[in-house]
Amino acid sequence: MRLLSMHTATTLLAGLTLGCGSFDILNSNDPSEADLLTNPTPSKISVAGTGLFVGARAGVTGEIWILGSYGREGVNLLGNNQPDYQEPFFGPIQQQRTVAWGAEFNNIRSANIFLAALAKTTQLSPAQKSAGVGLAQTLKALALFKVIAVRGKLGAPVDVDRPLSQDPAPFLTEDGVYNYIRALLDSAKTNLGAGSAAEFPLVLPGGFSDFATPAEFLKFARGLAAKAEVFHGSAGCGTTCYQRALTELSGSFLNLDPGSLAFGPYYDFSSGPGDAPNGLSDPLNGAGFFALRVNQTDAQLQPSGDMDQRVLDKIADATRDPPQTVGGFPITGELKFTIYLAGGRSNTAAGIPILKNEELILLGAEANLGIGNKAAAITYLNFVRQNAGGLAPTTLTPASPTAALLDEVLYNRRYSLLWEQGARWIDARRHNRLSTIPVIVPDGAVPAEVPIPEAECQARNLTAPCRPAGN
Amino acid sequence: MPWRLSGLLLAGFLAASPQTAAAQQRDLSGSITRADDGRPIADATITVVGGAATTRSGANGRFSLAIPRGGSIQILVRAIGFVRQQVTVEPNQSTLDLKLTADVFKLEEVVVTGQQTGVSRRNAATSSSVVDGSAVSRVATPALDKALAGRVAGANIQSNSGAPGSGAQIIIRGTNTINAAADPLIVVDGVIYSNATVPTGLYTATGSSGNPISGAAQDDGANRLADLNPNDIERIEVLKSAAASSIYGSKAANGVLVITTRRGAAGKTRAELTQRVGFSSLLRGFKPRAFTVAEAKDVFSTDDATLAPFLVNGQLPVYDHLKEVAGNKPMAYETVFSLSGGSETTRFYTSLEVKNEGGIIGHTGSQRQAIRINLDQKLTNSLKLKLSNGFARSQADRGFTNNDNLGASVTYALAYIPSFIPLKQNADGSWPAPAFTYAGANPLQTAALATNDEQVLRNTSAATLDWFAHQGERSSLQLIAAGGADFFSQNAQVFSPPELFFEAAKSNPGTATRANAQSRYLNWNLNAIHIYSPASAAWRASTSFGAQYEDRLLDRSSATARGLLPGQSNIDKGAVFGEQIELNTKERTFALYGQEEFLAFREKLLITGGLRAERSSVFGNTDRYYLFPKFAASYRFPELLGQGADLKLRAAYGHIGNQPLFGQKYTVLSGRNTISGNATTVVGGTAGSPDIRPERTKEIEVGLDGSLLHNRASFEITAFRRNTYDLLLSRTPAPSSGYTTQFLNGGQLRNWGLEVALGVTPVQSRSFRWESRNTFQLVRNKVIDLPIPDFRPFGAGFGLAYGEFFIQKGRPINQIIGTTGFDANGDPIVSFLGTSTPDFKIGFSNDVSWKALTIGMLWDWQKGGVAQNQTLSLYDCNQLSEDSGRPSGQARAQACLNDGIATPFVESTTYLRLREVSIEYEVPRRIAQKLFRGADAARLSLSGRNLLLFTKYTGYDPESSNFGQQAVSRNVDLGPYPPSRSFYFSVSVGF
Repeated sequence: MRLLSMHTATTLLAGLTLGCGSFDILNSNDPSEADLLTNPTPSKISVAGTGLFVGARAGVTGEIWILGSYGREGVNLLGNNQPDYQEPFFGPIQQQRTVAWGAEFNNIRSANIFLAALAKTTQLSPAQKSAGVGLAQTLKALALFKVIAVRGKLGAPVDVDRPLSQDPAPFLTEDGVYNYIRALLDSAKTNLGAGSAAEFPLVLPGGFSDFATPAEFLKFARGLAAKAEVFHGSAGCGTTCYQRALTELSGSFLNLDPGSLAFGPYYDFSSGPGDAPNGLSDPLNGAGFFALRVNQTDAQLQPSGDMDQRVLDKIADATRDPPQTVGGFPITGELKFTIYLAGGRSNTAAGIPILKNEELILLGAEANLGIGNKAAAITYLNFVRQNAGGLAPTTLTPASPTAALLDEVLYNRRYSLLWEQGARWIDARRHNRLSTIPVIVPDGAVPAEVPIPEAECQARNLTAPCRPAGN
Repeated sequence: MPWRLSGLLLAGFLAASPQTAAAQQRDLSGSITRADDGRPIADATITVVGGAATTRSGANGRFSLAIPRGGSIQILVRAIGFVRQQVTVEPNQSTLDLKLTADVFKLEEVVVTGQQTGVSRRNAATSSSVVDGSAVSRVATPALDKALAGRVAGANIQSNSGAPGSGAQIIIRGTNTINAAADPLIVVDGVIYSNATVPTGLYTATGSSGNPISGAAQDDGANRLADLNPNDIERIEVLKSAAASSIYGSKAANGVLVITTRRGAAGKTRAELTQRVGFSSLLRGFKPRAFTVAEAKDVFSTDDATLAPFLVNGQLPVYDHLKEVAGNKPMAYETVFSLSGGSETTRFYTSLEVKNEGGIIGHTGSQRQAIRINLDQKLTNSLKLKLSNGFARSQADRGFTNNDNLGASVTYALAYIPSFIPLKQNADGSWPAPAFTYAGANPLQTAALATNDEQVLRNTSAATLDWFAHQGERSSLQLIAAGGADFFSQNAQVFSPPELFFEAAKSNPGTATRANAQSRYLNWNLNAIHIYSPASAAWRASTSFGAQYEDRLLDRSSATARGLLPGQSNIDKGAVFGEQIELNTKERTFALYGQEEFLAFREKLLITGGLRAERSSVFGNTDRYYLFPKFAASYRFPELLGQGADLKLRAAYGHIGNQPLFGQKYTVLSGRNTISGNATTVVGGTAGSPDIRPERTKEIEVGLDGSLLHNRASFEITAFRRNTYDLLLSRTPAPSSGYTTQFLNGGQLRNWGLEVALGVTPVQSRSFRWESRNTFQLVRNKVIDLPIPDFRPFGAGFGLAYGEFFIQKGRPINQIIGTTGFDANGDPIVSFLGTSTPDFKIGFSNDVSWKALTIGMLWDWQKGGVAQNQTLSLYDCNQLSEDSGRPSGQARAQACLNDGIATPFVESTTYLRLREVSIEYEVPRRIAQKLFRGADAARLSLSGRNLLLFTKYTGYDPESSNFGQQAVSRNVDLGPYPPSRSFYFSVSVGF
């Protein structure tokens, strides 16, 4: 009797639990990360792959206006957040420490998840998988490159594909990060090559329409590698890296065609549902971003006496009346950037160049100068001076001092890449020429670097602003 | 399935239960009647002390019971609402007639100790607060929680705003969580009753920010306890202590409200009709600042020409805009009809409520229609079935109030409009566009044209099958199967028409939002209760165990359209689509529990131990059972303080939990971004915690209870200390990981306090009677440990310049800090400004009856505590406070406009409030019968709610919560719906 009741009770409990319905309830509100990793179907991989382009553009507009403010290209006069204009012109950099960090590492995590899913799937051909791997590696390299380009000697962590339960990835030195980027892009080259006959297992956005096959995309990857090598070259690697840059450029989409200067991949924006508008597309009467007068006063003159054509093409008078000012801040909004506008009006679908032919040509000039081939450097420089700036060929010769030629390279990078990536400040930094940037405002200061974000320091039990040991 | 199972269970128990031999017995019979008027008492329980024999009196008060032969025995007679009596029955005595006196302070009641078990309150080892249903329905109340304010020692109940049908929150024993659920579990007739707050989507019109997890947070939503008809309530038991609520496991950390609805009694069918009619009016608010032309020119940097059109007789007029907007005196009425009665086998209670309450702001108000049918059926002598069903339709339009960024909130915009601006509608039907205002708004126009409407249909059903499987002289076995379902659907519409001035200023004027929600709670439990007492009757052991299952689902969706066609509010009539939200949650919990109660030494010692093992779909490991133990003991010292007195010492220890929120264990991808028209996924930013577990509160409480002078005075003193561990927190991982937040368990909070309930009947005579019930509570708390840096909780406030909540290790959980000055370097000095938890609260409830007249009053006194008076900061920053032209107001304007000093805007919430007054007249029976055909009783009453408020607080109400139901960030006053007082006249007739 007693035995029977024990048995009944046990059966009962088992029965009760069974009667309750499943306890493994998924969160149906959002796609699950674990699901993508354990059950990676081609359609899930495709949207995750396209998502890498969402991640790639995430921080771009902020980086452009913040770094552009450091380099005195422009200023944010919206006035609703004091650090927006205070930090770039007076320092110290506090709120803006997260520039070129959070969004970039976010996308690196997205890319690593995508890579893990791709590795797991059996429903794609090996060639398609290789193509996908090469693409993700390239976008990872792009993200990490942006991080190191503004932090230089501070270095950065690279081994970040680890669970949160582990300690944060250790910092590498600037040199180590560039080496890591090189290895990543070399691997991307191999993978894009292996997948060259296949189609990407994802949809590339409109800004990559000219790079939508693995073979074409590889030209972007090589161009990016060239840029990284040039930056590495100026960061101490020197001739070796400049030489490598020239090799990479030969595999890129560099093209000495006056009509192809703007050719290259672009970050996509639009005001469609769920899409991001180009936040820099501030109309001529807008109260947001303004170009600084110094862009005009520093410009060289065309033979006609007009300013450098690039200034005429990219900057116009603001039409806001009265002109925009912010209380207690000495700069008045007088000029506007027109590159992201259409007929002076806002165009939220305006693309932002990631890497354009005009920049590849200037990277060619800088790399050649780096290995001492001044004549080739001058050829590249003059191509841009004449076709982009409407300027006369440079008066510099192979006999001119390297420093003078570098000035000329940086002048052209400044105006060719105006309000597109913060090139002036980044270049001045890596060539140790921050003092050439005028502070403009009384008692102002030009930031020396973008520090490590506070949360990154705290996660390592360091007090912000922190400087990783040895870097 | 439960029914089949209970049969199986029974088979198991019968096999295990001890067999009792039939003893020689004799009969005892008699009647139980009321001491005051001699009417019979039905359902009194007559038991042999120390034995298991028990019976109940019938409708006529008569009973008959088989008792052991030979020797005198002790008989105990108990009835709900009456003081128990224990008498000796001599060996040859065969009849017993007893008169019971009313139990004013409910000392005789059985209080909850488990899912289906209870113990006499005189033995209870934990503090219990029982509120009688008549106390919460005597004065018309918008919702049950508001009627409980001031009546429960240990529960701090405050309204979120003064809106008709607005939300309220019940905070039991302090703040025991930061991010998890903050409201108590509500159980109605055994069914877990959803108290969810579903926002209407008002934020789409006001532009106030929301919470990524729960959506809009500043919509002044109503918690759905509002759907319960307070007139149907028999009693509310508030389980405060962990040892008492432990049986409810991981949702009971904030206490449990066990609500029982009225049921029929055997006997004559009784009908009762109550009709209430009343009105409400503005209680208090901001007074206008009078401007001279010179002051207006200065404040608004304007000139004579601009001000000229406003001049009346050469001076700027003073319009009281708040009175124009919220000066209505709307009617309110409530009709309550109930019918109850039945036979020995079938009893019923049915009721109907129709309630309509207008709001003091035009076009606002709330309604409720409720029907209840409760049925009790005796199937056999040992098998009883209880069915309960409540249906309600609730509707409310709370208008546009609370925080705002777009000009929609009426009370917010009022703080921007100087008194000389006319707002009233023009004769031609158009509205004046104010020259000085916020985002173009004319609040009178907004109040007249905007809609913030919600409708709820709700049905709650419960069934209990109670089987006395075995009833012997020494032991009994009771099997109870109970289950129920609680459904509601909510349909809300926010309509901000394009002609409103603040809408017209937008690129797509007009906003319409439709928000729908479906809620489904299902639960069942199976229980076996075995009671055993040895032949010596020296002790009694009650063993109970069982299983419980809950399935909870809440699906919400909303869609917004902007750029509406004139006159059209449908969301398909917009030019562009705005916010779209779909949020579905589903949770399942299963628990097993067992409990042992041991009563010994002539019912003087009670020892209880229990354990609940629980698994849930919201835990990281869904297979793991989390254990929640409890222990409690009490010892009575009868007659220690004289005859008719009782003194009891008690101590209890228990664990309870607070479940993680749905989805906190998962890491999700973000799928909301598109690029070039392609859908995408990217890393979600928030990393879940795959091993997330419930927060765990461990509490120890000790108490001293007593009653004196035959229950004419009673007291209950409780001290408690509770520590909450494994808090659900979020931390910021290294950003290089690619995630921005991660959920985790950790840290520790501590709450400790003192609760006193004191009941006295100073006068008790046939014609004059005075009953006084008083509560005192004091809670202190502290953040003991945090595994993450100190942080601002959600809804902390609006910057240190205005005062903000801040979670800081070693500091009170509800502290508000703010900028109080500047140091030598010009850096702000941030100081502690107070806590939202008051120093103490006292409730005084007194009822005085003289013959047929009864006067009742409930006073509520709160000492200390602070609130963020952000409404004041709006008026001060705009220099529109009544005293802004004088030095006191100028100093605050300076603090707001130039210095960024929070001190003036964090104010003490000390208040004394007259919550309820009622004057009742019991019409003599003869007259009642003449007045109302067929009536046997009639009562007239005049009552009022929220009549007086004495406080130095200068905002709308020291009880305000812009962010609604919050664990920490309550007491934020930012343009809430203004408070009102209400008056009712009512007639009740019984047939």
